[in-house]
Order: sequence, then structure tokens, then C-alpha cells
Amino acid sequence: MRLTLLVPLLLCVGCSAVSHGTKLSDRPPEGGRGLYLSTGGAPRPYRTIGFAQVLGYGVTVAGVSDLGDAALDSTIKRSLVDTALRMGGDGIINIEFEDENPPTAVERASDLSESISNAAGGRGGVKTRSRNVVVTGEVIQFLSQP
Amino acid sequence: MRGTFGLLMLMALTGCTAVNVVRAPSMGDMREVFVTTGDVKGPYQSLGVVQTTRRGVLLFGFADPAGTDMEAGMYESLIPEVRRMGGDGIMNVRFQQTQYILPTRILFAVLFFLPLPSEVTLSGEVVKLGPGAAPPSAGTPSR
Amino acid sequence: MRLLVTLALLALTGCTVINTANVPSDRGGKDIFVTAGDIPEAYESLGMVQATRSGVLLFGFIDVVGTDLNAGFKDLLIPQVRQMGGDGAINVRFHQTQYLPATKVIGAILFIFPLPSSVTVTAEVVKLRR
Repeated sequence: MRLTLLVPLLLCVGCSAVSHGTKLSDRPPEGGRGLYLSTGGAPRPYRTIGFAQVLGYGVTVAGVSDLGDAALDSTIKRSLVDTALRMGGDGIINIEFEDENPPTAVERASDLSESISNAAGGRGGVKTRSRNVVVTGEVIQFLSQP
Repeated sequence: MRGTFGLLMLMALTGCTAVNVVRAPSMGDMREVFVTTGDVKGPYQSLGVVQTTRRGVLLFGFADPAGTDMEAGMYESLIPEVRRMGGDGIMNVRFQQTQYILPTRILFAVLFFLPLPSEVTLSGEVVKLGPGAAPPSAGTPSR
Repeated sequence: MRLLVTLALLALTGCTVINTANVPSDRGGKDIFVTAGDIPEAYESLGMVQATRSGVLLFGFIDVVGTDLNAGFKDLLIPQVRQMGGDGAINVRFHQTQYLPATKVIGAILFIFPLPSSVTVTAEVVKLRR
């Protein structure tokens, strides 16, 4: 079983991982409600309030279940936004993000197989994989109304 | 002593710099999505952020069966993902590729039974351009 | 067992670490400005700067030398901008070592092993053309 997973791993079929987050702010922002969020600059003049770095940690259990906060959406739209609001910001610009160790399809399948074979062999030990998502951003206040 | 000398000779002969380049899609073809490390001037609609990672090994120090270079990362993972999300392009792209200098590759070609781990990651914000907005000028090679 | 301990620690201590630096600034000219992006005004580039401060967290929590974002901006970057004669710093990138609360608690228990910590800030120092 392991060998059948190791061969594609070495030949690297299905060795890619994609991490998604939902939409940020449009430009120009619609309605003017909520914090302005962008990986780029601001749509109008602003002053910088400060900078924030958020680490979202989670665990992938047996290759199938993602527990914790290691997701782009929860890190950007919950933790980073809450932080900016606490700092008195109207928006976060120049957002950068990195999902540091996203498991690929092959790695997930390998973890699942290892967990099943451990359970079947009575050895216990579900395979877990730590996940980190790091997000940084510049917290700003707009100098003018939209 | 001889090993160190050999390594130094190898480095002197082959250099210690690794450079990887990928060309952005041509903007002459309007069906192509745009890829830029900068911001988009003009109105746009954000469709979300995305990060693609390709992970594999280099066999014999050089063979990359998984496609873990920037070319594969961009054209086989990132751009198809932008299309799948319905975007016109992706802005503020950041990228990172595992790089090995030539002496290391040669060393692992000799030690062929030890594959070199390799990975490429690209990320950015996928956008749909608003009325009147033009895609940013392309054609600048990313490095 | 290990999974249970990991999940229990996560549930008890949380899975998110947040660090901020308050660096109020605009480009009015009164003080050094700092931005993670570009600026529309004309400027003269004075050079690149990378500032790193490394240290340890004693007992998992005590940051003796100051290796957080606040120190990175206020003690390292801004003095460096002043020293170079700049008005501000653009395209700032920053990174601080972050530990989960669970790791810090373990660091406090195993107090003979201090946790390594560092902050790095990079930027381009500029002088505005007024």
C-alpha cells in the first residue's frame, strides 16, 4: 500500500496544493461599509496606524480533517480584521499571506493510508500534520470620506 | 582536503548563483489572464486570494518530473486556478522557488539515489477588471 | 495519545497568535513615515535597509531584548531611517517569530531552554522631493 503511494510521490503526480480565501474589497469599494481589505494599495489618501502579523495554527488529522485556524479566510477576515478594528483602523492594505505547509493530495493520501494501517495494526497513532498560515498587513485610516 | 578542493574547483567552474525566470503571459492575446506583482490601476472586483504550491523532488539533481519550477507553478497551477475562479488576472503576486546552485545539483546527480526536495509557491489576489480598466502592462520577466 | 494532547492544548490555548506595532504616520513631514506600499509623491531613494534583532524568550514569555514588531519598527527601522537622513521608509516587509500559547507554556515549564526569537524588518529608505 505504502509503495503504491511512494511511487507517485517520487514521480510527483498530484503534488500540488491550492489554498483559497474569499474575496477582499473591490476598487472602488462598494457601499463603504466594513473594513477595506486589499493585497495592494488604498483607493484614497490615508494615514498609517500600524502593522500586524497574525499566525493561524492548525492540524491536519489523518490527511482529511483540518482543525484549528490555519485557513486564509479565518486568518485574514477574522483575526486580522478584529486586530485592525481594535487598533481603530478603516482598512488593511498591502496584505501578504503564506500558507506555509499546505499538504498536497499525495501527502493527504499518504497520511490517511498511514493512519489506517496504524489503526489496523493496533498501533494507534493517527498521522497529524501541523499547519501554519502567516498573514501581515498595514492598518490604515482614511483621511477623507468616500 | 581533496574533497574541499574539488568542491571549490566545481564552484569556480560553475558559479554560485541560481537564477530562475518565468515570462508573464503575453498581453497581446486578450484571452490570456494577466499576472502582475504590482497593483491594478483602475476599478476591479476582487474574487479572492489564492496560493498554489507544487512540491516534488529533483531526480539526479536535474530532472523535475513534478514541475516544481516557476514556469510550471505559473502555467500549470496559478493561471488555471485564476481561470477557474473566473478572473481576468491576478495582482500583487508573490513567488518563491527552491533553488540549488549547480555544484549541489552535480553532487546529487552523483548521489543519484538521494532526490533533492523542491517546491514552488505562487500567491496573489484574483481580480475581474471593471469597465474601462486595462490590464497592467505585461511582458516584464519575473525573477 | 499525542493527538489528544495536541488537540487539548489547542482547545485550551487557542490557535491564533497576533502581534502588532503601532506606528502612526503620514507623509506630512512632521515625523518619519513608514508604509508597506509605494507612495505617489516624488522621492529620492537613499538605499535599502534590513534590520534584525535576535534574542530569547525567558520562561516562554519574557522578551528581554525586545524582539517584537514594536521593537523592530521603533527601535530598529525608524532610528535607521533617521540615521540615513530619510523622511520615511516604503515597501516595508516584516517578520517576527511567533509562538503559540501552548509552546510558550511549555517554554515556561522547561525554563532552562529559552525560546529563540527574532524580528526582521526590511524597507527602502527615501527622501521626499519637496
